[in-house]
Amino acid sequence: MNRYKVAALKELQEKRCMKVNVSGIDIALFYVDGKCYAYNDRCPHEAAPMHKGVVCGTRLPAGTYEYVYGMEDQVVRCPWHGWEFDIKTGKHLANTDVKLRSYRVEEDGEDVYVLLNR
Amino acid sequence: MGREPKLIDCDVHNSFNDISELLPFLPKVWHQQLLEHGFTDVINKAFSPVGLVRRDAVPPNGGRPASDPQFMLEHHIEPNGIDYAILTGTPYMNALSLLYDPDYANALASALNEWMVEKWLKVSPKFKGSIHVNFSDPQAAVKEIERWAGHPDMVQVIMCSSAKIPFGQRHYHPIYEAAEHHGLPVAVHPGAEGLGQSYPPTPSGYPTRFMEWENILPLNFMGHVNSLVCEGVFEKFPKFKFVAIEGGVSWLPHLMWRMDKNYKALRDSAPWLKRLPSEYIKDHIYLTTQPIEEPPNPEYLVQIYKMCGAEDIVMFSSDYAHWDNDDPKMALTPFPKEMREKIAAKNAMKLYGLYEAPEQTEVSGA
Repeated sequence: MNRYKVAALKELQEKRCMKVNVSGIDIALFYVDGKCYAYNDRCPHEAAPMHKGVVCGTRLPAGTYEYVYGMEDQVVRCPWHGWEFDIKTGKHLANTDVKLRSYRVEEDGEDVYVLLNR
Repeated sequence: MGREPKLIDCDVHNSFNDISELLPFLPKVWHQQLLEHGFTDVINKAFSPVGLVRRDAVPPNGGRPASDPQFMLEHHIEPNGIDYAILTGTPYMNALSLLYDPDYANALASALNEWMVEKWLKVSPKFKGSIHVNFSDPQAAVKEIERWAGHPDMVQVIMCSSAKIPFGQRHYHPIYEAAEHHGLPVAVHPGAEGLGQSYPPTPSGYPTRFMEWENILPLNFMGHVNSLVCEGVFEKFPKFKFVAIEGGVSWLPHLMWRMDKNYKALRDSAPWLKRLPSEYIKDHIYLTTQPIEEPPNPEYLVQIYKMCGAEDIVMFSSDYAHWDNDDPKMALTPFPKEMREKIAAKNAMKLYGLYEAPEQTEVSGA
């Protein structure tokens, strides 16, 4: 497993979402609730660039005609078809069997690192 | 314990011979309106050279087809081995919700239900009735459901499929709440699309021919099924069942796949949905066979049924005595045995709780 320095922590904290390329792989980095996350930038549906998606909250499951807002800034919505993914788990909100491909990510001092098997 | 039913006909039309049959069940204040106006608002369709009823279904006394309970038993129920016939009235009766006068419609619903019990359900245990309600006045509809829910031979609520508000919307929820409470499915039947207080049968306007109108009826059913699921009706009323009579079946895979696809993208606009839309359809919507779809290769129909789980939610219907009725011995031949048995009786048996066939009855005059 190789450790790649991919971003300055401060930059990711400010942008909350950014794309990096590591060894030929496009990776979308996210910063949510004090933690970094790294996912393959291709949406598992039709390969849209996830880093172009909107980071937002959503309406949580609720009763009929009830509205509960939550997951503020914890959801990335695919820029094409709107599939919502929980940034903390990578799981699609409508079908949790579908996930963004995740990579191990580490913070080390002022930098963010991604660990890859290549 | 008797045997299980082998054939349940989920759409049998029982008609008046003369509209004056309703007078004994209707308050005097509505008599003139019934006799001089009747159901005129919801009757006039485009011309059909075939006519709307089977020409061989005229009773021996020369009355209207499907107006004589004894002749219906002799002509349709007994020869076809039908264990139960779910009587649905006629499309114009179903369409009382579209009449211009809602108070008249409420009175008609009450009268029709009494007429159903007195003239039909008392004749044979094979007859099961549908409770007419006026959906333009949901409170009155609830009262009518409460009035008849305890009757052992009233097995569902019936309304027309033509409507100004899609069936998932909150306007109808009191009706569904009452139906669910009493374990009664709500069925809808086509025939008044574009008539009375409704919109054109297509969003783009009126077809010009009866054939064209008939072809496109499923469009309305697709809209209602879509609405029922997306509005969260089946989350709000988890035991509620909806029966889409005579609205076709083969559109179901398309609608399911389209709904599921969009749910994956637009889930947050219907956050009450906890499962894929197609799963609600499979658990809550029933459909009927007639008019059976007739692809060039009958096997295509079997394949479509398999695609959407239709074998567990589709029920046989003849539509007797309408012109486009299906013969139970002919219409189900494309289906393999196990699928055929579910469609012929088992699905309806479970939905309506008709687990035991009635004892064979003599048909008087047969």
